[in-house]
Amino acid sequence: MAGAPDRQGLGRAGALETRALRKRFGGVQAVNGVDLAIPPGDLRAIIGPNGAGKTTLFNLISGDLAHDTGQIYLEGQEVSGLPPHRLCRRGLGRTFQITSIFRRLTALENVQTAFLSHHRRHFNVLVPARRLYRDEALGLLERVGLREQADKPSGILAHGDQRRLELAIALAGAPRVLLLDEPTAGMAPRERHEIMALVARIAADTGLTVVFTEHDMDVVFAVARRITVLHQGAVLAEGPPSEVRASADVRRVYLGQAS
Amino acid sequence: MRPTSWLAIVVVALAAAPVALPPFFLQLLTEIAIVGLFATAFNLLMGFGGMVSFGHAAYFALGAYAPALLVKRLGVPMLLALPAAPVVAAVGALVFGFFIVRLSHTYFAMLSLAFAQIVFTIIFKWKALTGGDDGLLDVWPPGWLKSPAAFYYFTLAVVGLSLLALRAVVDSPFGYALRSVRENPRRARFIGIDVRRHQLVAFVISGAFSGLAGGLFGFYNGSVFPDFAYFTKSFEPLVVALLGGVQSFFGPLAGALGFKLLEWAVSRQWPVYWPLFLGTIVIVVIVVLPHGFVGLVGGRPWRARPIAKA
Repeated sequence: MAGAPDRQGLGRAGALETRALRKRFGGVQAVNGVDLAIPPGDLRAIIGPNGAGKTTLFNLISGDLAHDTGQIYLEGQEVSGLPPHRLCRRGLGRTFQITSIFRRLTALENVQTAFLSHHRRHFNVLVPARRLYRDEALGLLERVGLREQADKPSGILAHGDQRRLELAIALAGAPRVLLLDEPTAGMAPRERHEIMALVARIAADTGLTVVFTEHDMDVVFAVARRITVLHQGAVLAEGPPSEVRASADVRRVYLGQAS
Repeated sequence: MRPTSWLAIVVVALAAAPVALPPFFLQLLTEIAIVGLFATAFNLLMGFGGMVSFGHAAYFALGAYAPALLVKRLGVPMLLALPAAPVVAAVGALVFGFFIVRLSHTYFAMLSLAFAQIVFTIIFKWKALTGGDDGLLDVWPPGWLKSPAAFYYFTLAVVGLSLLALRAVVDSPFGYALRSVRENPRRARFIGIDVRRHQLVAFVISGAFSGLAGGLFGFYNGSVFPDFAYFTKSFEPLVVALLGGVQSFFGPLAGALGFKLLEWAVSRQWPVYWPLFLGTIVIVVIVVLPHGFVGLVGGRPWRARPIAKA
């Protein structure tokens, strides 16, 4: 289990690895034996048709759902079965397909709270929080383009700005592995490229490993370093964008052609 | 600054009240302060933690009985006995809360109610210790605190310090984390927050100050009874907080003021019809004033937003 000295070589190399990960919902085998090996600093896209198991895979890795069998390793340590808040402390961050922010807090307070928690001040009742990590939070909001919106309740921000805010919340925890579940969902094409370019820049600057799902293939092929294709809960193909683009299997799955 | 000058006016008015008001109104103000503390402690959970307890009478009653028993059974003086109120209530909140925070929404509310009914039943049945239905009588403060004015000042000081402490909790990093749990427990987990543990700590703080309110009320009342723990008592802070406005720190205080003044005004004319008035007022406030009484004077819009979950 967690923390056990399970270091059989393989686990140590990767930022994030899964082995034979499985999850069944009733009669549906949503994730059916997924092996992932994502090296540090990778910008990995996970693609696949609807129902391929992308979000379920994310939920398993991030501890939001319990998996049935298999193992998960974060930076070489087995983390299978750890709850989300513990995983977060070990350097895993994530965003959600449906925007998940603290809607009645201001954008600034959203990010400040994430900083407070990251620095383990969240049980402190003795000092006022208003000025704590304020500059850091404003800096991060600046980075994602929300500096002007800092004092607005986050629930009234435009959809795209809420997605940016969620990214800032996740980044405040200084993750070393970041899972982004359709980070550009509902955004205009131009904004999609903008936000993913930002993610790529931040990843390059900080050595962050990013794993993301995305429906917009333009975005995927523009940003991803490697691509993993999921189909019916299993890995169908994996490789650099050029290889995946050329794969006959992938074309068949996406275009629905029998071959 | 404006808020500080308002505060200064309120403090001066409260300090001068014993000069201007007859004892009856001092007692009413004392009661308002106690109910205000109870409702503010309750609202730490409801307004800031998003947890609706239907059983806060349990902690109020534990806080009332603990010092009353010390005074009656062991002869401990009131000022030494009163600190037992928040301590015993906090222990109760820790034990019950451990189970309650494992549930959410309706189940949270019902389990909190169930634990309160257990407390009620124990107090009611354990006659040898608690006096059962007869309660504990003659639980008075020492002579120098007995006059309405003296007890009024004493209550004001204890309640004032408690409100400062609760305000500090709300504004602290813990308070921020608690609000994030209210807004979005799932997201809160993914910024590293142990949601249940946060809820439990909030539950214990809320229980402790509810207990302190109960302790004050016992000495104000001069006696304690099992119905302090009855479920109707649990709805008092809920109604008071709703009337005043759960999204604002001072809402429950405003609610206590409005609630008690209306109760007094209506009951002296038509005592039988008070529940009818109260029901009507609650309906009107919920429909017309979703932010409660404090919504009338404005406030911070981001705090005064309907609870509607997005």
